[in-house]
Amino acid sequence: MSEYTVVGQTVARVDAVEKVTGAAQYGADVHPPGMLYGKLVRSKHAHANIRSIDTSEAEKLPGVRAIITQDDVPSGRRVFATDKVLYLGEPIAAVAATDPDIAEEAAERIKIDYEVLPVVQDVMEAIKPSAPRLHGDGTKDGPNRREISGEIRTLSRDKENDHSDAISNLEAELENYPDEVYYNISAESHTEAGDVEKGFAESDVVVEDTYVIPRVHQTYMEPHVSVASADSSGKITVWASTQGPFAIRSGIAGTLGIPLTQINVIGTTMGGGFGGRFGVIITHVPAVLLSQKTGRPVRVQMTREEEFTDGRPAPGCVIKLKTGATNDGRILAREALAFWDSGSVSGASIGSTIRVRGVYKIPNLKVDAYGVHTNKSGTAAYRAPGAPQAIFAGESQLDEIAERIGMDPVKFRLMNMREEGDEVPAGSSEPKVGYKETLEAVADAAGWWDREAGENQGWGVAVGDWTNGCGPGGVYVSVHEDGSVRIFHGSMDITGTDTAISQIIAEILTVPYESVTIRRGDTDSAPYSTGSGGSVVTFTMGNTAKLAAEDAHRRILELASERLNTNVDDLELRDGKVHVTSADPPKSISLGELAAYSLSTTGGPIVGKGSFARQASTPALAAQIAKVEVDPGTGRTRVLKLVASQDVGFAINPMAVEGQIEGGTVQGYAWAMMEEMQYDENGNVNPGFVDYRVPTSADLPTVESVIVEVPAPNGPYGAKGVGEPPITPTLATMANAVKDAIGIRINELPIKPEKIVNALKSNGH
Amino acid sequence: MKSFEFFEPTTLAEASRLFAEEHAQLLAGGTDLVIGMKALTETPQSVISLQKIPGLTGITTEADNSISIGAMTKVREVELSADILQHHTALAEGAAEIGSIQIRNLATVGGNIAHASPAADTVAGLLVADAQVHIASADGERTVPINELFTGPGETVLTPGEIITRFRLPSPASGSHYIKHKIREVMDLAFIGVAAAINMDNGTIAEARIGLAAVAPTPIRATEAEELLKGNAPTPALLEQAGEAAAAASSPISDLRCSAEHRREMVDVLTRRTLEQASERASG
Amino acid sequence: MAKLPVSLTINGDEHDLLIEPRKTLLAVLRDTIGLTGTKEGCSTGDCGACTVIVDGKAVTSCMVLGVTASGKEITTIEGLAGDGELHPVQQAFIETGGYQCGFCTPGFIMASKALIDENPDRTEEEFRHALGGNICRCTGYTKILEAVLKAAEEIRTTT
Ligand SMILES: Cc1cc2nc3c(=O)[nH]c(=O)nc-3n(C[C@@H](O)[C@@H](O)[C@H](O)COP(=O)(O)OP(=O)(O)OC[C@H]3O[C@@H](n4cnc5c(N)ncnc54)[C@H](O)[C@@H]3O)c2cc1C
Ligand code: FES
Ligand code: FES
Repeated sequence: MSEYTVVGQTVARVDAVEKVTGAAQYGADVHPPGMLYGKLVRSKHAHANIRSIDTSEAEKLPGVRAIITQDDVPSGRRVFATDKVLYLGEPIAAVAATDPDIAEEAAERIKIDYEVLPVVQDVMEAIKPSAPRLHGDGTKDGPNRREISGEIRTLSRDKENDHSDAISNLEAELENYPDEVYYNISAESHTEAGDVEKGFAESDVVVEDTYVIPRVHQTYMEPHVSVASADSSGKITVWASTQGPFAIRSGIAGTLGIPLTQINVIGTTMGGGFGGRFGVIITHVPAVLLSQKTGRPVRVQMTREEEFTDGRPAPGCVIKLKTGATNDGRILAREALAFWDSGSVSGASIGSTIRVRGVYKIPNLKVDAYGVHTNKSGTAAYRAPGAPQAIFAGESQLDEIAERIGMDPVKFRLMNMREEGDEVPAGSSEPKVGYKETLEAVADAAGWWDREAGENQGWGVAVGDWTNGCGPGGVYVSVHEDGSVRIFHGSMDITGTDTAISQIIAEILTVPYESVTIRRGDTDSAPYSTGSGGSVVTFTMGNTAKLAAEDAHRRILELASERLNTNVDDLELRDGKVHVTSADPPKSISLGELAAYSLSTTGGPIVGKGSFARQASTPALAAQIAKVEVDPGTGRTRVLKLVASQDVGFAINPMAVEGQIEGGTVQGYAWAMMEEMQYDENGNVNPGFVDYRVPTSADLPTVESVIVEVPAPNGPYGAKGVGEPPITPTLATMANAVKDAIGIRINELPIKPEKIVNALKSNGH
Repeated sequence: MKSFEFFEPTTLAEASRLFAEEHAQLLAGGTDLVIGMKALTETPQSVISLQKIPGLTGITTEADNSISIGAMTKVREVELSADILQHHTALAEGAAEIGSIQIRNLATVGGNIAHASPAADTVAGLLVADAQVHIASADGERTVPINELFTGPGETVLTPGEIITRFRLPSPASGSHYIKHKIREVMDLAFIGVAAAINMDNGTIAEARIGLAAVAPTPIRATEAEELLKGNAPTPALLEQAGEAAAAASSPISDLRCSAEHRREMVDVLTRRTLEQASERASG
Repeated sequence: MAKLPVSLTINGDEHDLLIEPRKTLLAVLRDTIGLTGTKEGCSTGDCGACTVIVDGKAVTSCMVLGVTASGKEITTIEGLAGDGELHPVQQAFIETGGYQCGFCTPGFIMASKALIDENPDRTEEEFRHALGGNICRCTGYTKILEAVLKAAEEIRTTT
């Protein structure tokens, strides 16, 4: 640690003051002069044909400036529903008015005549031949059915340990429908390694269960918003609260069929994203179209209710999982069949079903996954997309096996964890990762080895893995004549990544963190940058920043060698000064003096440039332990202790890293215990915080975080992306703790009080 | 929100006159009305604020030990009032269960009752306090016992122009308690709510009142259970019987929050627990 | 419908305005006056992002009709720092890392300030309960609670 002076230290974030004083400008804080307020007109049905749209009453309302439908999309690319709506809340038209209340009133006045169609919301219903088809009869995108090999047909379960009504109903129904054809399939993915049948045959214990995970919303606290301004030359400016301004730019350009350079996207400060703020979200294009039509800037801002009906949440899924192991604790085979609820469009993270393999040596693995259409909005990424769902199944079942063979759950995991050089099932060779170190760290910190549990109390452990992504990015660094350093780039900061970039550059240029400032450009000015998600920023932009600083470093030594008439090899940059290493008496020149010198000679400003695309990333592990107490009378569960460790490679800003661990863990806790988007034939029925419960501070104890650092070979200073891993194990951590407390496993999330009471009842309590 | 005309009368008579007009709605703290207007479930043409009318706020204890709570008193004030905490603990506990402090600084107890949500958190406490609801209108005043106020979800016996002015809580029971069944610790609406108030006499229950919220179209008293308790010592077996009787008296619905069956079971469990706590307090 | 005259004292400044009765205090602050530090996360009273202090009490400004705030003293996040110095609650949020995206932060800071003004001696458990009206999706609350306890301690010892 001590070899560095700035990285590895906790520092206040670069945006600290603006964030605590209300000065930071978020999307909805942008208010160009003359701005109009846009409002989307949304479907009131979950599945219906549109017979007609009548805007005449709305047009009469004073203050209404424009009403647009699909007819107003010059490129013809689908922005609004025309003939058919597939979910409650699907946009059909948009209005711009001088006042938000007028826009809302106008939207209400637009009369849409619907022919209501049968609805399907449950994935296990949707795959049946009797289900209504969303994209049926070959008229819409893609095929609507898939033939599959008859190998995995029915969903069965471990009857003794499973008390979910939903699952038993589902099984009963599955028994009488043709099992070789699934309907409403949006995508599929199949992976196989080894021979699972052989693996199960050789196993002493085989456990099979079905896990049901609900659709949940990312619930970033700032609802989607865009402000667009189209000027008379055709130039479009979009202020967007987004994780990826460059992706928005290309998305809008593609949808409208116009060149990239005609659009400038300005990324505003963003109120959370967690994956839900990528790409062209629902508000951008309507805002642009309304601005083009009215010649005035237009803001389209979603309400919280619209977030729930027309956001792009994380998919729910049903996973049937089977695991075989020997009595001495070796896992031999695992097989999964998963149905992911992709809503009305394809795109659920079905590929993540492979995460059921965990970080274990499993010689035989088979994974089949399907995306299934239902009458819901489409889905998007949510913090380690797909992993929490798959890992919930995998880590829950692991505990069941541990229990059957009488092994401690931590020891069982340690024994099966892959080590450097081991083969990753259906993957390549395992690099060096702190799997065991991380699990041991959490066990030690939580007091696992001498844990005590009172009546109705229980302990749960689980681990989850994730590998950060990476993508292209660019950073410029310039050194000013007062010795200060300025950074310029185009990547969005939510979690403190600007701070990490600043720390890295300060470290390399040996200046105090305080003398570095960072500035984000818009898509017109900044170099391309990949979106901020997939834990990419620290890895990508950290590496990019390093390259830029090293470039500047090189330039600084060149200039100093010219100025001091010394060979570059005899120079060293230290404490913000270039020193002649061999000089006696000491001789040095400060960065400020060099910058000034360079300006007045032929050198020009000191500029360093970094450009980066990709390098192999290293997996990261999150390991968590929870202690809970269940009230058997009411079924309410209280978390008494929540400890989370994570192999972060290297913590550039430990306070920010802890913040990521704590935040991700709590999101996982909520998915396990309370969050669930509920649907009926009318669509989403809990579109607000009253019945879509996100936890408050009163629901939780302090989350204890433990940082483990096993460096990633290609990460900046060994750092890995830290944002996503912490949510991956928590669902199972909680389920395992509840099982330990009440002796019954609940495989259908969220583990609400009613489910616990019913489980206890059916177990004779 | 639809537009409306806004009035801030300074007398009850004026408010009552304005409120008696068609498409008029009262504004107390606004935490129900503003939500309703945003959701377009409330589209009044005139909104009449009660905030400028003197005499509708405050908690006072009368000579006969009865307590009077002005309808416009904030639920935060009810929750923190030493008198209410001591004499009508269930009501203070119910008030403290409403939303957040930010909401309780706005919401009034009159609004919580007049809105007539079966899940309102002050209602069970007022039921077991045997509160009298004082109502004013252009025709004068009348008083309605709280258990006769509600006629259905969102429905009361109040007629156009009638305004609740205060709640009078007659002589207090010696111990009471409120429990709300919920998922989140705070900011959850009651899956069900149970209040119990007990007077003890030499180790036996002299009087018991049980108020149930969110278990029927209106808040109700569990009278059979109350009868069972009267004259008996609060043994675990008796309290269990009372719980069962209260559950039998409830007619809950299934909705997205939970099933009717779960609600009924929770009435059973929580009635037992509130009685336990209330009788302990009454004995202490 | 006719706009009504209102007179609001916001962060010590008087504002005489004409506003429509249907505009909430949140809308007046953000759209009419341009004080956008107060955030809208739900507009239904559930998230606390819009918390401001009215006559000494923390309230969700999305639940208040602007016309009813006439004559009242309103403090928003913009009015907290004085003389170029951050308020101890703001300072504590920076020092403990009590924010990430920062969207909930103005609401949390205003709610915390009101709680500490009322009673700085609350325990962690009591603060956790009392701050239940504010949702933060990023931090998991651990560092927010650290900030609030730190600020309470600071305020308790300096006053
Ligand atoms: C985020 C949030 C969370 C909440 N959580 C809870 C909770 O957990 N538990 C709970 O019980 N409630 C909860 N509520 C609702 C609660 O705040 C309201 O029921 C409140 O008590 C209503 O009072 P008010 O003064 O705000 O009424 P207003 O909204 O001003 O009035 C509502 C209606 O009541 C009628 N009314 C009001 N006062 C009178 C009167 N004096 N005479 C006659 N009629 C009158 C009028 O019809 C009026 O339109 C919550 C509300 C919000 C916004
Ligand atoms: S915006 Fe007011 S509480 Fe959420
Ligand atoms: S910091 Fe993002 S919501 Fe709290």
